[in-house]
Amino acid sequence: MAEPPRATASGPGRVLIAVYGIFALSATARAGVQIAGSFSEAPIPYLLSALAGVVYILATIGLAGHGPGYRKLAWGAVGFELLGVLAVGTLSIIDAADFPDDTVWSGYGRGYGFIPLVLPIVGLWWLRRTAHPR
Amino acid sequence: MITPLVVATMVLTGLLALFGLTITILNRPPDRVARIAVWAVVAVLALQAVIAAVQVFAGTALPETSTFLIYLVLSVCVLPIATQFATAEPTRWGGAVIAAGAIATLVAVQRIQSLWIPLG
Repeated sequence: MAEPPRATASGPGRVLIAVYGIFALSATARAGVQIAGSFSEAPIPYLLSALAGVVYILATIGLAGHGPGYRKLAWGAVGFELLGVLAVGTLSIIDAADFPDDTVWSGYGRGYGFIPLVLPIVGLWWLRRTAHPR
Repeated sequence: MITPLVVATMVLTGLLALFGLTITILNRPPDRVARIAVWAVVAVLALQAVIAAVQVFAGTALPETSTFLIYLVLSVCVLPIATQFATAEPTRWGGAVIAAGAIATLVAVQRIQSLWIPLG
């Protein structure tokens, strides 16, 4: 009988979840303030901030939970996050005029020490690494 | 905002991050000393938050009051939540979780400081 895959929420995975949790909290809070306060100024960046917040929340839940459903959720959220940071990062550099206000993913997460770029790469690596029993 | 208190919270959260990383490197789970250290830092952060909140509600006008207040709340809440999570599974990685919380708190304090621009 095959052993169950190693939990993503154990050992160094907890550090990853902590960082995801912090980003979930701060991205959602930031988007909340932006949308409540000055939505009409820059709707697209603010909606992107909100989307990033939701993706971070889903990734945190997926990584923290146990079982194949959570693992799928984590794969989806972290994969989307990598695409998001690459797409928004590239667009924000090519077409700076459409991105007057920074989102978490602008300039590949420059405003956040490039952690938004590194995080999904580490996340995908960790999901892959924990996919098979030791 | 009181400048010496801002400096103190930044130094303390920085030291707490180093402490967390040290116990991870030494392969020790967060112990009682770590918990006391966290709560001592949180006490100073809470003091700072109360002082700043009183100043804001007493009439100090800021350009971005709601953002300022959210960072103020985050600066106090992140470390207790991180520490709860860090000690739930007693391994060496608990220290790194505390360090992540401490660094996030340091960034929050730095944002609070940069948003503290009293208007006229």
